Amino acid sequence: MALLDIKNLTLEIDGSSGWMKALDKVSLRIEEGEIRALVGESGSGKSLIVRAVVGAIPEHWRVTADRMTWKGKDLLTMSQIERRKIMRSEIAVIFQNPLLSLDPSATLGEQLMESIPGNLVSGRWFWQRTKKRREMAIKLLHKVGIKEHKKYLGAYPHQIADDIGQKFLIACALVSSPRLLIADDPTRGMEITTKTQILKLLTRLNKTRNLSILFVSHDLLAISSMSDRMTVLYCGQTVEDGKMSQLRKRPLHPYTKALLDSAPSFRKDLAPKSPLAALDGTIPTLQHLPIGCRLGPRCPRAQKECVRTPELRHVQDHFYSCHFPLIREREKQ
Amino acid sequence: MMLAHVIRKFNLLVLTLIVLSAFSFSLVYLFPGDPIVNLTGQRNISQAHYDALIQMHGFDKSYFHQYWYYMTNLFDGDWGYSFSSGLPLWQEITQTFPASIELSSYALVLSLLIGVPLGFLAGFQHHKPADFGLLAASVIGYSTPIFWLALILILVFSLQLGWLPLSGRINLLFDIPHQTGFILIDIFLSDSLYKSAAAKSALQHLIMPTLTLTIVTAAIIFRLTRRSLIDVMSSQYIQTAYTRGLSNFQVVMRHGVRNALLPIVPLFGMQFAVLLTNAMIIEVVFSWPGIGNWLIQAINQRDYPAIRAGMLAVSTLVIIVTVSTELLAKLINPELVGKIHGKS
Amino acid sequence: MANLNMYQEEFHPSPLVHTWLEFRKSHIAVLGLWVLAFFISMVIFGPLIAPFDPLMQNPNAFLIEPAWDANGSIRHVFGTDSIGRDLLSRLIYGCRMTLGLSILLVFLSMLVGVAIGAIAGMSRGVRSSILNHLLDSIMAVPTLLIAIVIVGILGVGLVNSMWAISLALIPQFVHNTREVVRAEMQKEYVLASQLDGARRFHLFFYCILPNMYEMLVVQCTMALSVAILDVTALGFLGLGAQPPSPELGTMLSEGLKVAYKSPWSIALPGSAIFLMVLSINVVGDGLRSALRNRLSH
Repeated sequence: MALLDIKNLTLEIDGSSGWMKALDKVSLRIEEGEIRALVGESGSGKSLIVRAVVGAIPEHWRVTADRMTWKGKDLLTMSQIERRKIMRSEIAVIFQNPLLSLDPSATLGEQLMESIPGNLVSGRWFWQRTKKRREMAIKLLHKVGIKEHKKYLGAYPHQIADDIGQKFLIACALVSSPRLLIADDPTRGMEITTKTQILKLLTRLNKTRNLSILFVSHDLLAISSMSDRMTVLYCGQTVEDGKMSQLRKRPLHPYTKALLDSAPSFRKDLAPKSPLAALDGTIPTLQHLPIGCRLGPRCPRAQKECVRTPELRHVQDHFYSCHFPLIREREKQ
Repeated sequence: MMLAHVIRKFNLLVLTLIVLSAFSFSLVYLFPGDPIVNLTGQRNISQAHYDALIQMHGFDKSYFHQYWYYMTNLFDGDWGYSFSSGLPLWQEITQTFPASIELSSYALVLSLLIGVPLGFLAGFQHHKPADFGLLAASVIGYSTPIFWLALILILVFSLQLGWLPLSGRINLLFDIPHQTGFILIDIFLSDSLYKSAAAKSALQHLIMPTLTLTIVTAAIIFRLTRRSLIDVMSSQYIQTAYTRGLSNFQVVMRHGVRNALLPIVPLFGMQFAVLLTNAMIIEVVFSWPGIGNWLIQAINQRDYPAIRAGMLAVSTLVIIVTVSTELLAKLINPELVGKIHGKS
Repeated sequence: MANLNMYQEEFHPSPLVHTWLEFRKSHIAVLGLWVLAFFISMVIFGPLIAPFDPLMQNPNAFLIEPAWDANGSIRHVFGTDSIGRDLLSRLIYGCRMTLGLSILLVFLSMLVGVAIGAIAGMSRGVRSSILNHLLDSIMAVPTLLIAIVIVGILGVGLVNSMWAISLALIPQFVHNTREVVRAEMQKEYVLASQLDGARRFHLFFYCILPNMYEMLVVQCTMALSVAILDVTALGFLGLGAQPPSPELGTMLSEGLKVAYKSPWSIALPGSAIFLMVLSINVVGDGLRSALRNRLSH
């Protein structure tokens, strides 16, 4: 049974010109022990999906879905209390810019120890429990790779470096031994060395604890190495979904191909001053979404058919929604 | 590092006070009339006495000497004499200043007790009817001219209903000797036979002035607290705390309240200054024997030594209180500690 | 409502227009603006609509009640005071004086304060930092106290109290201008202009000033409410406008003497002050909310 199963999630926002579909029939499925990447440009709605799962959507937005379940339990209809219980014990989230997620007036140690729920620490007396909490905190810090725990337990958020902050947040997330870790662009703006550290840590956690990870990002290079499956999102619509190796070798949707091509290549046989491959145009604003396939105006392969929204088709377990996928290209060749 | 900051702030405080005292000294020359007369407050004296005064205050030497003598006299307690009453100014100020401080302190404590909790309440009920209601009340509260509010209260409670006395600090029948200047403490310390009656009378006289001051100040404190809380509650770490599954109570009490209060503590110090100024107006309305009443009468009577001394006293207190609260706030704010570098 | 735009153009308002549109969304703020406009119209058209001369005493009409009372007459809608002057005219002229004076004072302080603040913000070095700290300490002292101090030195009277309040309002403008200018100087568009060869003067007027308008408007509303309260307070204490001047605070202290018999002589001027300050504060609040909403979108 899948851990998180989302089918045809639609999120509508009430704007000045009526209801706009920020997410249009997005589907996502995460199995146990899987690292799934969610890729898309800024403005494609990746963070909205995270917020929908977490339950942080403002009340005046409309959320509808055919199915949105966690381990079989429907997330849309459950009560606030149950949702919070799940959030506390089974799903954990880390956000970008770690220093903003920490209370500036409390030390790291305080914040880590208060996330430890009471049922994990035994002991009759208050100080016994605090001691146990501290031990657990130190163990967690070591697990995420922060060795000098004494120094950091007493530090304030503005004193520490970004990568320590992110590792610390991962430690906070691991407190309750969650089954799923949602990482919303955790390595944004980080240097490559720190980025690799965090990614290595996440991979290690996935292997040792069987922790599923939903990694939301727009950095293809980083996640292509570590994820099992990838979902590509464009402008609120799922564009392609499949195994990482297959997507890399044989992308079916033009957008995926454009994304993969746009990563700068360091091949030696490129002609000097050859232009970078990129898709023309920019992502459309919410007020002016194209009808049908939203990539239409930008897609180099678009034809009259593309005014109709393509439905989700699949080749084995490789999903795509395009009228003119790149299969035919291969066939022609 | 923290110590350096404290020392620097303290130096600036001393610098400001020096500038203030220099300004107050220069008033001796800026006021119309003879500088010696303005300084000492003694008019109609013999020529010999006049020359002696010139010697005493160094007016035959340079400006710097005069200023030096002025400062030493200040610290000695010789502030000159008042034109209108002829009494030494030091005595007049020490008798009237505590009355104003007493009134302001009670009003400040009350305003904090009312304003801060209501501010939190409104902040948590943001966009809900309770918030709008409280906000509307606060705008009305701090838009009211304070002297008008005092007059209305007098009209209603003293003249129409006759519940509370009109003016003064205590019923004149009670004779409480001046010890600290704070009337409630003085009543307690005195050995009068009518302690409880005197205390009751003093409290009755205290109610309306304190109430007037509290209404306006509490409205301002309410707004400050509410705004700070709203800003804190919409920040990312509060949202993250909720996603981490922390309970409402934990998030609010541990993180929300603490981060909301930290930046507004220095503002409370500034509110004391505003409160003191408003108290000066209230004193005139209620004939409360405080320094505001005294100072304004002195201005009307052109009592220059009194004006100079009174201004110096009030400004010094205001600046000391403001800078001290700022310093205190900075000390408890963890953001002053430096960065940690190094490998993990 | 259907979107009647035929063209798919995006509407991108400038920041000022955007703030105005956000401001309009709050009904109370707009109401406050109307009340304020009403008072300002009294400032401009006062002499044309006042039925009597505010200083003219009428020995036959002492302490007549307002028109809604049994003994009042419609001739004196708000009644008269103890020496027979019509209260309505005095109120109109009073609003004119108080509000007009305050606007003038705020305008003057703004000019001086912004100039000093700009120079302080654009300069660097130890000298400026000491000056800045001194100015900050002065800011801690309430404006009314500074005004009382200055009146104490210069003597009582309308002109002196005007100078006093004007001087007392300057530190606020200096501080806020300096903060904004310093913040803007760090930004890259200023650097770009400097690399283009812009001189300091040009830098300030063409680059930084347009970004300061909103801050200035908010500051002006706050300063205006403070100015009105201070002008009336000084008038009330006898340190500002002197009788028989129809300034609202002075009228209040005069009406004090007959408050027991005729409560409207303190209720009416006080309500006028209250309404003026309330409308300004409501407008100021609305502006700040509008600014915040604009920045958060």
